[in-house]
Amino acid sequence: MELNGDRSFRAEAVTKVFNGSLRANDGITLHVEPGEVYGLLGPNGAGKSTLVKQVIGLLKPTEGRITLGPYDLVADPAVARQLCSYLPQAQMPIDSFKSREAIRLTGRIRGGDGATVDRRTDELIDALDLGEWRDTVGAKLSGGVKRLVGFTMVSVWPGQVVILDEPTNDVDPLRRRLLWDQVRRLGEWGSAVFLVTHNVMEVEKSVDRLAVIADGKLIAEGTPSSLKAQDRSFLRLQLMLVPGAETPELPAFVRHQTRVGHNLVTTIDQDDAVHGIGWAEELIGLRVAEEYALGATTLEDVYIRLTGHASSDDGTG
Amino acid sequence: MSPVSAAVAVDGTMRRGSSWFRGYRAKTRWDLAGIRLELPLIVVVQILSGVGFVLGLALFFDHMPDAVALYVSTGVVVLNLTLVGLIVGPQFTADQKLAGTYDYLRALPVPATAAAVSWFTVTLVAGIPAAIVSLVIAELRYGISFTVTPSIVPAVLLTTFTGTMLGYALSHAVANPMSVRLIAQMLVFFVFGFSPILYPSTQQPDWLAAINAWLPFEHMATIVRAGLTTGIVDGVGRSYLIVAVWGSIGTALAARALTRRG
Repeated sequence: MELNGDRSFRAEAVTKVFNGSLRANDGITLHVEPGEVYGLLGPNGAGKSTLVKQVIGLLKPTEGRITLGPYDLVADPAVARQLCSYLPQAQMPIDSFKSREAIRLTGRIRGGDGATVDRRTDELIDALDLGEWRDTVGAKLSGGVKRLVGFTMVSVWPGQVVILDEPTNDVDPLRRRLLWDQVRRLGEWGSAVFLVTHNVMEVEKSVDRLAVIADGKLIAEGTPSSLKAQDRSFLRLQLMLVPGAETPELPAFVRHQTRVGHNLVTTIDQDDAVHGIGWAEELIGLRVAEEYALGATTLEDVYIRLTGHASSDDGTG
Repeated sequence: MSPVSAAVAVDGTMRRGSSWFRGYRAKTRWDLAGIRLELPLIVVVQILSGVGFVLGLALFFDHMPDAVALYVSTGVVVLNLTLVGLIVGPQFTADQKLAGTYDYLRALPVPATAAAVSWFTVTLVAGIPAAIVSLVIAELRYGISFTVTPSIVPAVLLTTFTGTMLGYALSHAVANPMSVRLIAQMLVFFVFGFSPILYPSTQQPDWLAAINAWLPFEHMATIVRAGLTTGIVDGVGRSYLIVAVWGSIGTALAARALTRRG
């Protein structure tokens, strides 16, 4: 029962129907190779968590298969729990644990031997700059530090598949970089890493490939570059509106628009750049907008086009 | 050893045998550490409530008869042994569901039986000290003496196990955490007030006594009394059977709930 041969993760036509009619996942097919960091993007309610819960054996697909190498994770949820490490979006239950203790115990529960788990615990604490909280109980940790401790609990003895649901929530920018380094190392060591998020900006820099899920369906998949390729002839025109201003009437050349707070993000054709600048200047003159920025489209623009959501308007991103 | 070889190592034949004990040991340490903040308080509350019953019920009498003192103090042991598994455990699980940590704990690679036995171990640790203190206080206060026989061991284990498994079933079979809490509260009300644990079932109306004859709580008291006294209980074999059947029902319901996938 070694996994020295095929260690690919595969979901094939995974469909999950709740209450006979609600299709939370609808024919999702994807595969992830060992060492890949794979982003799973989508707005809240898109079906990401449902898919993850089927992978780790908490839910059973209505149809479809989920396999890791030779193992059928649907048929044997105990094997799924052995082979998959899971960082949920909710905080970890470590209020009465010291950080190091929680990490070590999780490593032991996951099957690690004492000496290796101890060494790896200390390595991760140092790598994520958590030394000053080594012996602090969870109840006294800030949300960001608790999140990092949760990440170390998952990666101290990682499974073949590591599922990270919004791992950087509340984490400060400096330690975010340290965390991404460790995510990459999980990949280098051979785990397939699922990164579940709706923070597109972070994903763009961190993943090898990604899938966008909306309304239970996988609507796009590829590398960040390949997904952006079809938007290459477009530009992003972002307007910072005056607080309280209503969304102005959009000219015909605006292809997509999303408003988040005072930010109006639009996509325009490259050939319309001059018209776009003119429109933005006009809005500033009318005191509807305060400033604007024109630049190349990002993965976020692709995401907005595909899902109709900005990555930060989902409440938790 | 790099994590990737670790990941491979968790797979394979070691998964089935030694991993059960590894899972049990690690999960017991996890459970004990997880209630580290609450455990001392639970033990103190258990002791206070046990001692409270033992001493408080004496206020009904000018001179507490020995038989009553024996009855009450041995009944208190049952309350001490079942409180954490039956009442406190489901409240903890309800908290985990509300905090969103329940799925994470279920996704840990610990065999379901090892996790259940871990929690059973914790309930023993939380219940036995209070039970012993209650008995010692009763001896000192009323000058009674208990006749401890080896049968106290299976009686304590089975009583705690059944209480724990019924609580475990409630925790995992009832999805809504608020419902779990409500049912746990109702159980406190029923077990403390309407189960013939501290008093004989002959004191109850016939219809209530008839119901209790098929529920586990009166019989838990019977088997515990049989291990601590001589001559005040009979039908011990039937009581063991009924408690064991309820323990099996709780285990089966919990197992079904934990292996069920929505």
